[in-house]
Amino acid sequence: MVCAAIAGDKAVVRQARTDRINVTYWEKWTGDEATEMRKVVDAYNKSQDKVFVQYLSISGVDTKTMLATAGGNPPDVAGIWLDQVCEFSDAKALTDLSQMAKESGLGPDYYIKGYWDPLFYRGGLWALPSTPASIALHVRSDLVPPDVATPETFPKTIEGLDKLVDRISKKRPNGDLEMAGFLPSDPGWWNWSWGMYFGGKLVDGDRLTIDSPENVRAFKWVQSYAKRFGAKEVQSFQSGFANFASPQDPFMLGKVATEQNGVWKANYIRVYKPDLKWFAVPMPYPGDRPDLAGHTNLSQDVLTIPRGAKHPKEAFEFIRFVQRQDVMEGLCKGHGKNSPLEKVSENFLTTHQNKFIRLFDQLARSPKAFSPPQIGILPQLQNEMNVAFQEVSTEQKSPEQALHDAQNRVSALWDTYKDQVLNK
Amino acid sequence: MMRRDARVGLLFALPWILGFLIFMAYPLIASLISSFTNFSILRPPKLIGLANYNELLHDEVFYKSLSNTLLYVLGAVPLTTVVAILLALLLNTKVKGMAVYRTLFFLPTLVPMVALGTLFLWVFNGDYGLFKQLFLKVGVTSPGWLTEPGWSKWTLILISMWGCGQAMVIYLAGLQDVPVSLYEAAELDGAKSWSKTVNVTLPMISPVILFNVVMSIIGSLQIFAVPYVMFPGGAPARSAYFYTSYLYDNAFQYQRMGYASAMGWVLFLITLLLTLIALKLSEKHVHYEGS
Amino acid sequence: MDLWLLLKIVGALLALGIVGSAVSLLLNETAIGRSILTVLENKAFRKVLAHILLVSLSVLFVLPLLWMLSTSLKPIGETLTNPPRWIPSKVLWSNYPDAISFNSKELGYIPLLVYARNTIIVTILAVGGSVLSNAIVAYSFARIKWPGRDLFFGVTLATMMIPFPVVMVPTFALFKWLGWVGTFKPLWVPAFFASAFSIFLLRQFYRTIPMELSEAAKIDGCNEFRIFTDIIVPLSRPALMVIALFTFMGSWNDFLGPLIYLVDQNTFTLSLGLQAYQSQHGGTPFNLLMAASCLVILPVVVVFFLAQKVFIQGIATSGLK
Repeated sequence: MVCAAIAGDKAVVRQARTDRINVTYWEKWTGDEATEMRKVVDAYNKSQDKVFVQYLSISGVDTKTMLATAGGNPPDVAGIWLDQVCEFSDAKALTDLSQMAKESGLGPDYYIKGYWDPLFYRGGLWALPSTPASIALHVRSDLVPPDVATPETFPKTIEGLDKLVDRISKKRPNGDLEMAGFLPSDPGWWNWSWGMYFGGKLVDGDRLTIDSPENVRAFKWVQSYAKRFGAKEVQSFQSGFANFASPQDPFMLGKVATEQNGVWKANYIRVYKPDLKWFAVPMPYPGDRPDLAGHTNLSQDVLTIPRGAKHPKEAFEFIRFVQRQDVMEGLCKGHGKNSPLEKVSENFLTTHQNKFIRLFDQLARSPKAFSPPQIGILPQLQNEMNVAFQEVSTEQKSPEQALHDAQNRVSALWDTYKDQVLNK
Repeated sequence: MMRRDARVGLLFALPWILGFLIFMAYPLIASLISSFTNFSILRPPKLIGLANYNELLHDEVFYKSLSNTLLYVLGAVPLTTVVAILLALLLNTKVKGMAVYRTLFFLPTLVPMVALGTLFLWVFNGDYGLFKQLFLKVGVTSPGWLTEPGWSKWTLILISMWGCGQAMVIYLAGLQDVPVSLYEAAELDGAKSWSKTVNVTLPMISPVILFNVVMSIIGSLQIFAVPYVMFPGGAPARSAYFYTSYLYDNAFQYQRMGYASAMGWVLFLITLLLTLIALKLSEKHVHYEGS
Repeated sequence: MDLWLLLKIVGALLALGIVGSAVSLLLNETAIGRSILTVLENKAFRKVLAHILLVSLSVLFVLPLLWMLSTSLKPIGETLTNPPRWIPSKVLWSNYPDAISFNSKELGYIPLLVYARNTIIVTILAVGGSVLSNAIVAYSFARIKWPGRDLFFGVTLATMMIPFPVVMVPTFALFKWLGWVGTFKPLWVPAFFASAFSIFLLRQFYRTIPMELSEAAKIDGCNEFRIFTDIIVPLSRPALMVIALFTFMGSWNDFLGPLIYLVDQNTFTLSLGLQAYQSQHGGTPFNLLMAASCLVILPVVVVFFLAQKVFIQGIATSGLK
């Protein structure tokens, strides 16, 4: 639910201490994920007596942080998403951490390259990871034919996947979909990224390349699914998909045989359908582009220090603590995710509850891994890509037309942004 | 005489005048000024003249969201008004248990927004929703209420009609003030029930109708919460992307408060225009007993 | 909507129109038709018809709410099944006390009763202030002629037309400057200064009261204030009740206001409390959420049920009373 709040003075004071320096930490997590982070916070508070960190679960944490920063009363640590770093940095809302990081020995050798690079933007370091993720294709081994039902034998290319989908998808007599081998729109969180799986880029230096041939090819492929199943049938099929954090999740229910999803998926499977037969493989690549093999989309939850925070040094102390290998691994294991650090302990990999953690870890280290483009108008860009995706999936526009329109719109927005925001 | 009237009039209106000066003057002026800047909540504003308004004129999403909103108003206002009036008439009859019925029709407006979104996602669900079940029983295929671009607005119009309880209550209150003597006089003239309604009831409550229609126009132009929950991003393909949704996204998602303020003032002008048209058109039809 | 569908709808409407006119013609011109009309005019028949309509329509309107009730009594596993169940396998009345003592991951224990108390305080203040101030101000716009009145009324109307997100940020800044953030004040103090919506509503109602009443009273020597208290207010009880009711509802269900202005968890209102049942990554306990929602709706329903007697049985006599 939408809740935009102007939370300038809105730190819910629960256990403010007067004998220590209070560091307020706003984080998006609730439920189990929050519990894991609270453990880390408690451990930090116990480990020293100078600083006390207060963890607060805040919904809409990005908007609230923004408003609080504008109001001159931000939290000391804000847990946002990597996607927002460039935008916030351009708005001069974040504190540059490069100096403090250098002094603490946190540098490019400490982290996996795919996670470290996106934290740097326009000459500054704006965030450090809290928990990362990588993405793979999850497959129901009981819903695919035995000849492809193992990670080794499962098709590696897009074409192979498409053939498999044709083989196994089921329709009801009245035309309604009953089981889809794969759906590009499921779960629908990364619609903007399909082009990148085909070798395309959205941003190239200072220009937008939304309608590049690779991106068009990707969207043609997306549209092929609408043609294959019928656009209306897909829409109504998908509207029956329940919440992913429930036993009615489409992958767990068997409405789709394969699904693009993140390393955390295994958590929910463990909770809701522990005896589900599944495995994970890297996302398929186009047959004529074997150089893309091993690609994945890297996302991160990050910790930042908003501009104007009252205790930036102490805030960084806490962030530094989170980056310690044992702490980080504990947190990531608790969340069921992989670790962003270059060094990973064997114990982490062997005792991790996700059977395929090694795959996710390996994917994260792949030179073909990509992250969201580093551009200040990323929210608008993602929204426009989403709209283009929907236009193509409902067959309202051809892929060329949809991407061309998006290119024009976003370029105009980018020009305005450069003019009004970057050229001060 | 005039002087005293003016003094008394202003005295009675004092609470509002004070309230306006204290609680509204500053925000209104601030937002007007920020529409001429590139204000973004996080950045100090810089005056950029008419650039925001100029950009609006060339912004196709602006036009799309505006046309979506106007289409919605075109559908929702007349239909909801008719439903509200008909219900009020129905609920004004002397039937036993009327209090219960009135409450039942009013209940929809009481549902908290948090539950409402979930509720309607279920009702209109294309796979197992309430509507699909009802349609299946009748043997008709249910349209894609939530998923087809052509139907998303109708879904919202239906929801608006379902929530007409507030307008209905106002009509009910208005119906109470229609003097019974007028009905008796009409009956003496041999009027049947339908013409009684048309020739007595409707004119007598015409100020109330005007009020509700104007409020409905203003409210519908600003529709935001329900579409935001049910059709995030205006999906599918911006068919349910409304003016205030775009305004909100600009203000809080894209950090363009100045641009959003410009949008707000444009909406204000449009609302003003539509209201003036409604008021002008009503002069011939609205019958004020008191003037 | 595609052209084909549009054409189908237009065609249906045309057909309906033709059939309708044919029926109306038949009813009025033929003997059989006229006797049918007499039946329709029959009071008893109309009562039956009204009953049928009332029952069927109210079921339609209430269906989603019945679903809410049904969901509130289900075990969590049955809340989102496909096909959906109406009758839970076991009726969990315990969901209600569970909802009251729900330990949410986000806010810890949700003291629903504390929130209820807070909501009641704010709502009573808001309703009182609203009825008082709006009655007075609307009188000025409706029954006293003063220079600039209509212009100012136009401005008043105009203030309703500003979309809220635009003024939200400067309004918050204003309250912050006044030092009212963190208190209940932003939620009820503005109610004492009237609101455009209520002013408009009351003005329309006041104008349905004949001016002759006021003039007669003036001739008798009453000043405006006496006219207001002795004549206008009693006559407009239905409308004032409506104002009170709407203010009550608005204040009770207000979400954005408390969200922005309330800081300490112990001062939260019920609508904020409902929010705590939702968790970000799914796993919302829908049954408890629906139970809590039902509890939150209950007082408003009761108030409405009681209030409607007042404004329906307002003045049932003729105009020149």
